[in-house]
Amino acid sequence: MNKLTLAGIITAVVMLGATWLSVGGSKGGLNGDIVNMLAVAGAVALVIITVFVVIKYVRQMQDDTASGKLADENWDGIGEYKNELPAGWAFMLLGTMIWAMWYMLSGYPVNAYSQIGEYNEDSAAHAAKFEAKYASIEGDELVEMGESVFLAECKVCHGLSADGIDGKAADLNHRISKESVMHVIMNGANNMKTDFPGGMPMGLNYSFADEAELNKLVDYVVAGLPADDKEGAQLFEKGTCNSCHGANGEGMAYAGPKINSFDVATVSSVLKDGKKGAIGTMPAFSRLNAKQIEAVSAYIASLSK
Amino acid sequence: MFHWLEKHPFFFAVGVFVTIAFAGLIEIVPNFAQASQPVIGTKPYTTLELAGRHVYIKNSCNACHSQLVRPFKAETDRYGDYSLSGEYAFDRPFLWGSKRTGPDLLRVGNYRTTDWHENHMKDPASVVPGSIMPAYTWLYTNEADIDTAYAEQVTVKNVFSVPYNTPLPMKDGSKETVALADTLEGAQASALEEAKLVVADMKSKDIQDAVAAGKIPEIVALIAYMNSLK
Amino acid sequence: MENRPLEYDYTVAKMFMLTTVLLGIVGMLVGVILAWELAFPAVNTFLGQGAAEYTNFSRLRPLHTDAVIFGFTLSGVFSTWYYVGQRVLKVSMAESKFLMILGKTHFWLYLVGVVAVVVSLLMGVTTSKEYAEFEWPIDIAIVIVWVLWGVSIFGLIGMRREKSLYISVWYYIATFLGIAMLYVFNNMEIPTYFASGGIGAWWHSVSAYAGTNDALVQWWYGHNAVAFGFTVPIVAMIYYFLPKESGQAVFSYKLSLLSFWGLMFVYLWAGGHHLLFSTVPDWMQTMGSVFSIVLILPSWGSAINMLLTMKGEWQQVASSPLIKFMVLASTFYMFSTLEGPIQAIKSVNAIAHFTDWIVGHVHDGVLGWVAFMIMASLFHMAPRVFKREIYSKSLMNTQFWIQTLGVVLYFTSMWIAGITQGMMWRAHDEFGNLAYSFIDTVTVLHPYYTIRAVGGTLYLIGMFLFAWNMYKTMTAGRRVEENELQNASPMAA
Ligand code: HEC
Ligand code: HEC
Ligand code: HEC
Ligand code: HEM
Ligand code: HEM
Ligand SMILES: [Ca+2]
Ligand SMILES: [Ca+2]
Ligand SMILES: [Cu+2]
Repeated sequence: MNKLTLAGIITAVVMLGATWLSVGGSKGGLNGDIVNMLAVAGAVALVIITVFVVIKYVRQMQDDTASGKLADENWDGIGEYKNELPAGWAFMLLGTMIWAMWYMLSGYPVNAYSQIGEYNEDSAAHAAKFEAKYASIEGDELVEMGESVFLAECKVCHGLSADGIDGKAADLNHRISKESVMHVIMNGANNMKTDFPGGMPMGLNYSFADEAELNKLVDYVVAGLPADDKEGAQLFEKGTCNSCHGANGEGMAYAGPKINSFDVATVSSVLKDGKKGAIGTMPAFSRLNAKQIEAVSAYIASLSK
Repeated sequence: MFHWLEKHPFFFAVGVFVTIAFAGLIEIVPNFAQASQPVIGTKPYTTLELAGRHVYIKNSCNACHSQLVRPFKAETDRYGDYSLSGEYAFDRPFLWGSKRTGPDLLRVGNYRTTDWHENHMKDPASVVPGSIMPAYTWLYTNEADIDTAYAEQVTVKNVFSVPYNTPLPMKDGSKETVALADTLEGAQASALEEAKLVVADMKSKDIQDAVAAGKIPEIVALIAYMNSLK
Repeated sequence: MENRPLEYDYTVAKMFMLTTVLLGIVGMLVGVILAWELAFPAVNTFLGQGAAEYTNFSRLRPLHTDAVIFGFTLSGVFSTWYYVGQRVLKVSMAESKFLMILGKTHFWLYLVGVVAVVVSLLMGVTTSKEYAEFEWPIDIAIVIVWVLWGVSIFGLIGMRREKSLYISVWYYIATFLGIAMLYVFNNMEIPTYFASGGIGAWWHSVSAYAGTNDALVQWWYGHNAVAFGFTVPIVAMIYYFLPKESGQAVFSYKLSLLSFWGLMFVYLWAGGHHLLFSTVPDWMQTMGSVFSIVLILPSWGSAINMLLTMKGEWQQVASSPLIKFMVLASTFYMFSTLEGPIQAIKSVNAIAHFTDWIVGHVHDGVLGWVAFMIMASLFHMAPRVFKREIYSKSLMNTQFWIQTLGVVLYFTSMWIAGITQGMMWRAHDEFGNLAYSFIDTVTVLHPYYTIRAVGGTLYLIGMFLFAWNMYKTMTAGRRVEENELQNASPMAA
């Protein structure tokens, strides 16, 4: 084989090999996605065509000689041959022109395609594929799915380990922090309007005798309402907290959310309406589907277990 | 014929011009009127939002961020609904961008919040480890140019009939009106009111003090703008 | 008069040569800074926290694009025009006082424009439209500069002794007309200060088009600004400088003719490929894709014509670095005009759009084709305008190889980065969720951003060698006589 061809082939192979390594290394790779395949096919065609066309012309520089009839005119010493068009080029120009007309007018009628139509088909196919699968996802697999949602959607605010990045968002490894409990007791809250339309009233701190008592109650809630803390439980009743959140903070439908730990229902409520609290504002996540919400909620519930 | 043209530069130039000019007519003109109709739910920018948009442009955020959600499943999953032409009816200039070094921001108001932006714009890597976005610290001290934003509002209202002070249909069936003050002082006052709502969700004492003193730092305007992107 | 060789006057050509070199270095230096900023964000504050407002990636990016387009490339176009124009029309600028004054005014006003652009972009005064960032006062200055150039072109043509126009002149005329039309329509904007009765910043304006319409006009401009800025005038250069330097006659008049009119006709229709999957109607997008494919042929026509002009002249390619620059330039031209159409295919664009693969495409065009061709042109001009031999051939050779390596590192890394990122954005995991958060698709690019920065730095080093070689040629090259300047440029070892 000639040195030039060899160099060309090596160039093409190196380019494509490196791309393949990079793409293949990413989760998914070509992923059976027709768009991915066409893009790679385009990249392959680009390298191969260029390399071989260039080789063709370099050969002519090496082996051929210039010839033809010179035109009469000449500009600053530059002449012009009256050579015919290179046949391959002329043929392809004509060919692409005809193809373009055909494509635009009849071959693939311009109006027969709609990108939104294509999107609808793709989405439907995606939904069909995964809805069938969703029914069987539960338990550990559900948590695993939830983790994947968390990493794609939530980690920018809550951090990779869901620790809230130095207090910039809620630390999801614990149900709640001291500041947040104090905040709702003093200021009340009404974020999760869908599931708890009444909200929590403000000023419940006045139910308590003094700062010390209030602190005890808060510690009790932050600790997840431990069964052996009788004093805390009493204070919880004293503040009428149990009337909305249930005796041990298990939560009550429409009245108050579960506050002793995260469960699917609580997290879903937050995702539905978002939440503004002591730390900051958490956006609502309406674009997640029901299964994704269930999964990410299960994942968060699993963190504090 | 061509050889003749080459000897007659004037006609040559006319020939070139005609050849290159009519493609533009055919490609651009037919869609012009239709694309400018707003879809339901689209509102013109308030003074503060528009000042924020100017901050966005001044810092060329569009160099890294697009504002165009293409109709692909993966994009609507990541950013929300795909773009509709009428959503951009009040965007002068359009800010679709052509490079996504950072994520699309067309609907960022849906899934990021004031306090997050406050942290992020000051030091992106502190909330998103590995981020290559520059830190925009000067936005916290420079003041937003409310006057120019107001001048632009007045201009688009008068010249392009952008519907300020007009009830506009929203997606939920209600109507909303974006008010435009009659005077510059009025506009400054209403921008300040709007700024107060934004800083209520911010943590920085300096920013809160600045707004309390009647100043509007660029970051406040920028966040108002980003929150409006939905 | 008829038999005596003309004394061409290169005063204006020389002035623009200076800005070509200077703004080339400035623009590419900024490009290199940008590249390092993406690889290592700490570089955003390389002049300290206090200056970060002016040195961060986003403030500098428009400065890079405008410095290399309106600074480096345009200066190159003007400079070669003031050189080539005289020679192929066989008239000297010295024959007309009017044209001399006009040419100098053209240069000085251009320089004022450049200063205004640099200051305004650093201050953040921009309209955000790519390659048309300037506010209205600068637009007006640009239009005046452009008109001056136009008068100068047609003035010189009016005085010509060569009856019919050489191919290069066709392309210069097209550059003038194309940019004039595009620039004016894309910059329709209303100054808000005047429209609001004197409120706010006096330089601020608002676009006359909104949303999708604005996008259509902008990319009709943007695409064709590439055509009439990075393609048409550069083709003008290669049609003159390659045959002249090599002493070969152009391979085929017919091919020149068809390529020219084909390019004029097809280019304008292809702009839709910047708006694929956007909110412009499907038929316009399809039209953009289809015409992009057709566009391969008129583009390749010129490149092939040039490569065939060198038929049988391999020894020249092997021995002259100047010819090497031009032959490699036409090869890169072929590469990017095949890559562009492939990226314009809808399914490919779905991956490529918004990613670094586009940036790769841009730079194999601009570094491998535009900048190579401009530098080669200046190398050819230098001995003629300074009447001195090129200072160092080996330096030129070194520059060629360093820069070639630079371009190769640039486009290969961006190609891989773009395809990787495009695919990661689309990936769903086994549960049907997005497989990656956005930041995952950013951090994977770090090695490629680093390689690109290295490639860019190599290219910039080559620019410095170029500037040094030009400077030494001007000041210390051996003096040469007219008869040494027929074809191959004289150069010292
Ligand atoms: C009238 C009903 C009601 C009473 C009484 C009540 N809560 Fe709540 N509580 C709620 C509701 C509703 C929410 C959800 C608030 C929201 O939607 O943001 C809530 C939320 C909470 C939260 C979660 C805050 C967060 O950031 O996630 C805690 C902790 C809490 N309450 C503790 C208490 C304590 C302690 C008391 C007694 C001192 C109490 N609640 C009394 C209704 C009540
Ligand atoms: C833009 C930032 C942001 C994003 C994105 C975000 N969060 Fe949050 N989240 C917050 C902030 C801030 C809080 C704290 C709110 C407060 O209590 O002050 C929070 C609180 C929470 C809480 C605690 C609510 C409570 O009752 O105490 C849960 C659960 C939660 N987020 C789950 C998620 C999940 C799941 C996701 C992703 C699907 C997510 N978050 C995405 C910012 C965010
Ligand atoms: C050098 C490129 C670059 C520039 C310039 C830049 N960004 Fe970013 N931006 C990023 C990257 C990369 C991310 C993703 C990582 C992160 O969240 O920090 C990002 C993320 C964001 C996000 C979060 C969006 C989301 O969905 O998570 C916002 C909001 C944002 N940028 C706003 C801005 C604004 C406003 C400006 C201009 C003042 C700007 N950016 C300039 C690169 C950039
Ligand atoms: C046949 C010729 C060409 C075609 C069909 C073509 C096509 C394309 C396409 C499809 C894009 C990407 C649009 C996107 O998805 O964002 C693009 C971008 C670009 N191309 Fe080309 N290209 C061609 C030749 C060239 C040449 C020769 C150059 C320069 C020397 C060039 C410079 C650019 C630039 C600067 C951009 C970036 C525009 C932006 O800012 O988004 N192109 N081109
Ligand atoms: C030393 C050489 C150069 C380096 C290192 C360099 C680097 C860069 C970088 C980092 C970007 C931004 C890409 C991004 O946003 O991700 C860029 C954009 C760009 N550069 Fe360069 N550049 C160089 C030379 C040039 C030259 C010589 C030209 C033109 C003649 C040019 C034209 C452009 C254009 C048009 C863009 C915008 C591309 C787009 O928007 O798609 N560059 N360059
Ligand atoms: Ca771009
Ligand atoms: Ca302008
Ligand atoms: Cu284009």
